Amino acid sequence: MNVVAVIPAFNEETRITDVIHSAFGYVSTVIVVDDASADATAVRAQEAGALVLQHMENSGAGAATMTGVEAARALHADAVVTLDADGQHDPHDIAAMLKPVEEGRADIVFANRFGQRNSIPLIRRLANAAGNLITFAATGRWVHDSQCGFKVFGPRAVRQLTIRMSGFEFCTEIVRESVQHRWRIAQVPTKVLYSPYTMAKGQSFAKGIETALKILLRSFLR
Amino acid sequence: MYTLSGMPVTPYQILAPLVALLAISYAWNLVFRQKKTIWEALLWSVFWGFIAAIALFPDLMSYLTTVTGIKNRENAVFITFFGMLFFVVFYLVMRVEDLEQRQTRIVRKVALRDSDLNGENDPHS
Repeated sequence: MNVVAVIPAFNEETRITDVIHSAFGYVSTVIVVDDASADATAVRAQEAGALVLQHMENSGAGAATMTGVEAARALHADAVVTLDADGQHDPHDIAAMLKPVEEGRADIVFANRFGQRNSIPLIRRLANAAGNLITFAATGRWVHDSQCGFKVFGPRAVRQLTIRMSGFEFCTEIVRESVQHRWRIAQVPTKVLYSPYTMAKGQSFAKGIETALKILLRSFLR
Repeated sequence: MYTLSGMPVTPYQILAPLVALLAISYAWNLVFRQKKTIWEALLWSVFWGFIAAIALFPDLMSYLTTVTGIKNRENAVFITFFGMLFFVVFYLVMRVEDLEQRQTRIVRKVALRDSDLNGENDPHS
């Protein structure tokens, strides 16, 4: 199975190398989509052996992820793994995440950071709970950790996926895609490594509200 | 003059349910064309059903009177159109987003072209 990792990255020069090296143990190709970083993210990713695509304008995590999926399709990927570039996901979980797709049980696999004992700050737990509720309201499907960037797309999902939302709301759009195309889903408990760095990179409360409004409005006006 | 629940029927009370019916039909049409999910069509139907219900039976609003101050049909019409105005503004916001998406697709095409990969599988290309 040709498995490709897609890592959208924005100003992650200090973290991207480790993430790429860890991912290479489980995938044949690592694609890093540099979303117009101001630092040396693209250079570090290239040095680490990743295929690097560069956005000439900052377009958002959703846009970068879709660019990576397009590139993976061009490489005839059978499955795509998406990872955050800040190192909060443990690439060693990729094997467990791939299993439902390899066994033909699922078209998309969602990581569940709340499925095992992880040290997750309360504010993050609340934000994720709100994200799950909004996602359910917009799509009618409950996913335990809908806002996690760690996912695996099987062959069918790789073919059919279309992400239109550019920002962080793309996670909800992916859940919507799973409903629209009737993909079989699986949810796998994974580790998460929160640090002051990853906390600082996360969405602010105001950004979260804006994202929630966009999700609800777009699902309504679509 | 025709009456509904003992009250004379206004042109608004005929027009609003017709518009609602059209909007609901359009939503379910999109479901059959696989452009909208059943859930989204249900949300859409509830919204427009509510608009139609308020138009046909303004008395339904009476239980909200203490909260909203809507005490008569004129106020109900005002509030309904106020809601529709918001709806139009948000629709325009979405149109702006569509323009942003076009820009994103251009950025994507350039990124793929520069890496010698093409975006031939992009349904929008």
